[in-house]
Amino acid sequence: MSDQSHFTRRTVLRGATLVGATVVAAPTLLVTPDTATAAASAFKTLTAAEGKLLDAIVDRLIPSDAHGPGAREAHVVHYIDRALGDALASSRSAYASGLAALDRYATSSRGKSFLELSSIDQDSVLIDCETGGATGFTGSSAQFFAMILNHTRQGMFGDPFYGGNVNQVGWELIGYPGVRTFVSPDDQKMLEANKLTSNHKSAYDYRGFSQDAHHGD
Amino acid sequence: MKKTLCLFAAMLATVAISTAAQSEPATISVSSPTLKDGEPVPIVHTPDGRNESPAISWSNVPDGTKEFAVICEDPDAGFPPPFVHWVVYKIPATAKGLPAALPIDGSPMPGEIAGAVQGLSGFRRAIYRGPAPPPGKVHHYHFIVYALDTKIVTQPDQPPLNRAQLLEAINSHVIGQGEIVATYERK
Repeated sequence: MSDQSHFTRRTVLRGATLVGATVVAAPTLLVTPDTATAAASAFKTLTAAEGKLLDAIVDRLIPSDAHGPGAREAHVVHYIDRALGDALASSRSAYASGLAALDRYATSSRGKSFLELSSIDQDSVLIDCETGGATGFTGSSAQFFAMILNHTRQGMFGDPFYGGNVNQVGWELIGYPGVRTFVSPDDQKMLEANKLTSNHKSAYDYRGFSQDAHHGD
Repeated sequence: MKKTLCLFAAMLATVAISTAAQSEPATISVSSPTLKDGEPVPIVHTPDGRNESPAISWSNVPDGTKEFAVICEDPDAGFPPPFVHWVVYKIPATAKGLPAALPIDGSPMPGEIAGAVQGLSGFRRAIYRGPAPPPGKVHHYHFIVYALDTKIVTQPDQPPLNRAQLLEAINSHVIGQGEIVATYERK
């Protein structure tokens, strides 16, 4: 029961491998970085209120727990904030209307804004969004939830170059040993034995994945 | 001779009725402090409110009950119907009902139903999620209680059962059954 009822890491990790592959195979899908620093104190695209609400949401999707840091610690909200000003710009209006709808729904159904709810009530609100039972959304609440979950996975497990996965906490969580352009036979053996330690390298630590290459210039 | 034949026919009929009575589950009395037959499900049990599971109690339970199971289903929805909102099984025979607001976070079940398991609903989550029908039509929500003459056996790492799996597991083991049928409509 426990694995099915909460927003577990298992739920979110289902898409993690796919995200990791996306980083290398199709970097143009992701946001253009402006600096290599992962955390920004101010939001670039979201309003302060939207950013605070979104941070609380992603914190429930991948909470920090005994397995390690979660989406808040990985600065997932900053990844999404940057992406909404770039590669995910077409989703900006969906975030504006969806976040507002979610907070209205929390207030109408549970009597408090999302930020004021207990974590268990926050989860209950998010489950209602996920299952399409929440009202007041443009379209289905399930669509909005799926979008946030997808972007949370990107920010948690994508290349840190794009502003999320700070300190590679997402990669540490799933045992991804860092981006490598060469794998020796010994590395391969260690990898297969699940003993290959992380090299803590981003794709953009390699010349072939420079920002220029990203733009296809 | 005709009288004898009639008597024989009457005896056969009696045997048939008796056999049918033995195979039909006894009727359990099901009640709830918040759910009433034919009346709307209170908002607190829907996503228009806190979406907490309702308290349900039962009585007039047949002798030999080893466990209970509960299903909430909506025959007015689902592909195919019914759409399943709640599945609970392995409810101990000593239980007189289910308390309100069963956990949604994996917390242990309340002491009076310790060992009970929430199964997978149509939302593919092992928790209660209440009525959220599309606007424009009244839906009916059957909260069905089953008294079983056996205990359901599952493996420790087995995923929670869904409705179909539960019904298969309890097939021919239902010795008592009752329900509350409440309604809900979104305008």
